[in-house]
Amino acid sequence: MSKFWSNILFHDGQGWWDLPKTQWQEPSPAMEGPCGAGATTIHRFWSWLSAAGMHHGTPLFYTVIGVILAVITVVEVWAFTIEQLGSMLIPVMLILALAKFVLVVAFFMHLRFDRKYYAWVFAACMVLGAAVFAIALALTTFHGA
Amino acid sequence: MATAEIAQDIKTDHGEVINVSTGLSNKKLLMWTFLGSDVMFFGAFIATFLVYRNRSMVGPYPADILDIPITSVSTFVLLMSSLAMVLALSYVQQDRKGLGTFWIFAVVFLGAIFMGFQFYEFRLFAMEGLTPRTNLFGTTFFILTGLHGAHVTIGIFWLIFLGYAHIKGALRSDNAIDLEIAGLYWHFVDIVWIVIFTVIYLISARDSVPPGGMPWVH
Repeated sequence: MSKFWSNILFHDGQGWWDLPKTQWQEPSPAMEGPCGAGATTIHRFWSWLSAAGMHHGTPLFYTVIGVILAVITVVEVWAFTIEQLGSMLIPVMLILALAKFVLVVAFFMHLRFDRKYYAWVFAACMVLGAAVFAIALALTTFHGA
Repeated sequence: MATAEIAQDIKTDHGEVINVSTGLSNKKLLMWTFLGSDVMFFGAFIATFLVYRNRSMVGPYPADILDIPITSVSTFVLLMSSLAMVLALSYVQQDRKGLGTFWIFAVVFLGAIFMGFQFYEFRLFAMEGLTPRTNLFGTTFFILTGLHGAHVTIGIFWLIFLGYAHIKGALRSDNAIDLEIAGLYWHFVDIVWIVIFTVIYLISARDSVPPGGMPWVH
């Protein structure tokens, strides 16, 4: 039980959410990259890119994330122009928006680098927010029926 | 004695005051809790927009009025302001004053451009006959995007204040947590716009006259 709370509250777990200390503190952290330690080249590149000060990435790292966000936005607008997508437009848009959302929250808002408790607070409120939406939709449907 | 030790706070790099019993920064926890409440705040308005989607009895409808290319540019501007924000924090934490000041005011500049786009859009819509009183789309659209715009405006003034403090030397690496807190707020405003852009502009942009005229009347 204490390990459970320790994993939630502190930054000393070994799970995938536990981003590396910096390169200087921990030269070869096993779980640093998005592909783990398996893909060595990607792992090295990610390690070089993300390691700067404690709990933060380098300016280049953030710039790469910014470019990815811009590219996803371009893809969104491009997908919008494809008439053939039809009813598939909504899931495609939601997936792309979710990708942008996660990138901003994880890296720009430092949740990926920070203590897990903040992520839990935010995630709990996201669930409540989704519940508000579901209840509003259910009430309207019931009222309409 | 043990209780007194647990109650102590310690100050770390960048001015974070960490409560030793939880290991959490007090300021950061406060901001994340506030952002959590703001999630529910915006969640309610986004839900309202979706509940009333495609139920307007009269036009203009989204298909008549929404301009995706212009909004895509303003979305790009806001995303880049988030990038500028994180770069500003990075440089302030390194005590690189010139770059820190540049990027803080870059965020202010990009935020102001975004607000300019919103002002232009609101004015254009009003000229084309869409106001909050026109139909359900107008009401839900203006309330949601207007509240988001109010958040951006507050963020701009907050960052002007912090930029001035940085120039005067009052914002440094040892209290950069104050800029990090403002950054969390700014990035949150950005992710809310990511959702608004997807839900209102991309998913609902082709909505026109509701099928069957008034589908909720039986």
